[in-house]
Amino acid sequence: MANAALAKANLHALRQVVAAIEEGRQHTGKLEEASQRDEAAGRLALGVEAFDARLEGGLPVTGLCELRAALTMDAGAATGFALALSSLVQERLRPERPILWISEREAGREAGLAHAAGLVSFGISPSSLITAHPRRIEEALWVAESALQTEAFSAVVLEVRGNPAKFGLTESRRLHLKAREARLPLLLLRQAGEEEASSAQLRFLIEAAPAGLRRIDRYSAPGTIGHPAFRITVEKSRNPAPFAFTMEWNADDRQFCLAGPDSLSGAVHASGTAHPHRSPAASADGPDRTDQMGRVLAFSRAS
Amino acid sequence: MRLAALDELAARVGLRVGQGVAEARACLPDLDIIEADEAADARLLASLADWCGRYTPLVALHGDNALFLDVTGCCHLFGGERALFDDLAARLFHMGFEARLALSATPGLSYAMAFSGRQQVLPTGEEAAMLRGLPLSALRLEAATLDGLAQAGLKRAGDIMNLPRAPLARRFGPDVLTRLDQALGREGEPVSPRLPVAALSAERQLAEPVTGEEDILALAEHLGGNLEEVLTQRGLGGLNFALTLYRVDGKVVPIAVRAPAPLKAAARIAGLFRERLAAIHDDFDAGYGFETVRLSVLATGPLAPVQPDFASAGRSDLSLDDFVGKVEARLGGGVIRVPVLNESHIPERASALAPFSRDLMVSPAASHWPARLRPMRLFAHPEPVEAIAEVPEGPPITFRWRRTFHRVSRAEGPERIEAEWWIDGEAAHPRDYFRIEDQGGRRFWLYREGLYGASQLPPRWFMHGVFA
Repeated sequence: MANAALAKANLHALRQVVAAIEEGRQHTGKLEEASQRDEAAGRLALGVEAFDARLEGGLPVTGLCELRAALTMDAGAATGFALALSSLVQERLRPERPILWISEREAGREAGLAHAAGLVSFGISPSSLITAHPRRIEEALWVAESALQTEAFSAVVLEVRGNPAKFGLTESRRLHLKAREARLPLLLLRQAGEEEASSAQLRFLIEAAPAGLRRIDRYSAPGTIGHPAFRITVEKSRNPAPFAFTMEWNADDRQFCLAGPDSLSGAVHASGTAHPHRSPAASADGPDRTDQMGRVLAFSRAS
Repeated sequence: MRLAALDELAARVGLRVGQGVAEARACLPDLDIIEADEAADARLLASLADWCGRYTPLVALHGDNALFLDVTGCCHLFGGERALFDDLAARLFHMGFEARLALSATPGLSYAMAFSGRQQVLPTGEEAAMLRGLPLSALRLEAATLDGLAQAGLKRAGDIMNLPRAPLARRFGPDVLTRLDQALGREGEPVSPRLPVAALSAERQLAEPVTGEEDILALAEHLGGNLEEVLTQRGLGGLNFALTLYRVDGKVVPIAVRAPAPLKAAARIAGLFRERLAAIHDDFDAGYGFETVRLSVLATGPLAPVQPDFASAGRSDLSLDDFVGKVEARLGGGVIRVPVLNESHIPERASALAPFSRDLMVSPAASHWPARLRPMRLFAHPEPVEAIAEVPEGPPITFRWRRTFHRVSRAEGPERIEAEWWIDGEAAHPRDYFRIEDQGGRRFWLYREGLYGASQLPPRWFMHGVFA
């Protein structure tokens, strides 16, 4: 697999050289121009300074980025991260356009289907999301390509399962170029997939991380499960050293923050918009067992 | 086993329908017998009915061997009743059918004429004179009624036409008079069409059959242009379209597409058919070509004229409809879905993926329901897990899901969700939901179905969804 992909990459490089010779460097010139345009298109800062700095300003808002979950069990975390990113893109760049989530049928069967109430509790309005459920990977690729040709969407998420043979380097390069042309982010959500050579500008490995505690004002309630946390390892970027962060997504403020006890206190930034209709958790969602009150003493036997 | 149908040769030899097979073989030892296939006969009749759609949209099946065509208002398109009649007869003959045709003012009389071999176009006003000479058996009466009439010596329709009506109805039932009145046009008899009648349709008959997909699409666009004008006048847009292709050899190929929003632009209609044709490419058999192409609008919706503004805002809306139409035309309906909230506490009912429609993109009906913590992705069918709980009503401490062992580090719950007894019945079990985080940090939504001690069986655990 890796050898084949490597061979493809070599072939592509050679083709570029030939093209450069034949066209008097027109082809590569075009590519350089495109990448310059990308720089102008800007990046999406996640609000986590250390992370944004390592990614040269944040997530690029055009072109292909890959989010990989190594196990199906982590598909929930990867989906959450992908939808959080696309909803940020939508909010900041194209608020009136919906997000398209293309999910191969197989992927939906293995990891579950979108749940509207869950989207609401994650801070995403269900009416801002459209899902597509093509049967096969070829159809999924076609839907993604068609979506990039219209001006209807703010972001496209393409979910595939594993490393399908029909989605190789050629296809990913084609989608990357289309996405760049359309100036849209295309997030490839790969569940239960291996590392694979592709044309994605960035590749993240997403794993679930233990969440913090639920906080009410300044107090954290013991035993509760707070904001969802993700462990994100950057596997591929322009920055050579691999690095990893654990980030939390605050569904109420719709923003990321670094996880950890010290960052929790200063979690609320000024820039985020508060979610309009969220109230503190209802009593039904409290801890599963009550804290012990006082001391329990052994009573003397009444005999 | 009895004979159900005969070919010309067998009929000439003197065999009869209803005769026993053994008897027929005795008469004619080298008789070929083919088992009757009623389903195939019905399919053939239905395909013939489709083909007759070239003359009129109102084609009805009658019994297992007759078709009614309501050609009211269609004859002038073919140059008059006589010309239509001759054209139909000639085409059926060339396709190898032995058909008996009759055209008159009422379906009942036409049937009776065809049944008794009077194949002609009956001029208006001669109905009574024609019916008088026809046998009663041509009037679509029950066999028992016919027997009764025959015993009374009544054989021809003329015999009963002048009899007093009340005694006739009393003795032979009301059917006799109904059929008689239907044949004479005193009582209306609607022809109920086999297929829904299109709201609008445009048709093109071609001198030279076409085979190429591009030619067909060009024709579809041309026909769409004809319809666009009418749709604009009526303030409507089409939702369901059908392109009916009549092949030279009599096969009819229907291609149906659905638009996500009312639509009237010819280019966009043709665009939908382009995707559909691309999808059915392998099954699409042009054969010797198509001689007639018809574009019908089966369902319409209001399409208010929109004034374009200078900045051409709202273009993105248009392209969303285009995208959905394109994808659904190629991959089939229901591929594009929208998550919607419903008013229910049961998680799988509270949220559904509904087929795309514009109305769903505005504020959802149940959005004012209290927001509870729910998983991002829900399994269509909850998956059974083996869980071990510390105390009977408490959260699990370990569980096994998809052959993987998980150790629970934190749990929130239970959140009890009772079954909806008005749907599930009184016996349905309540569920206790737990939000669980395992030691790897993955968050799951597990539930326990049933209560301890409520029934003989212990409660079961299920995995229902995953949190982000």
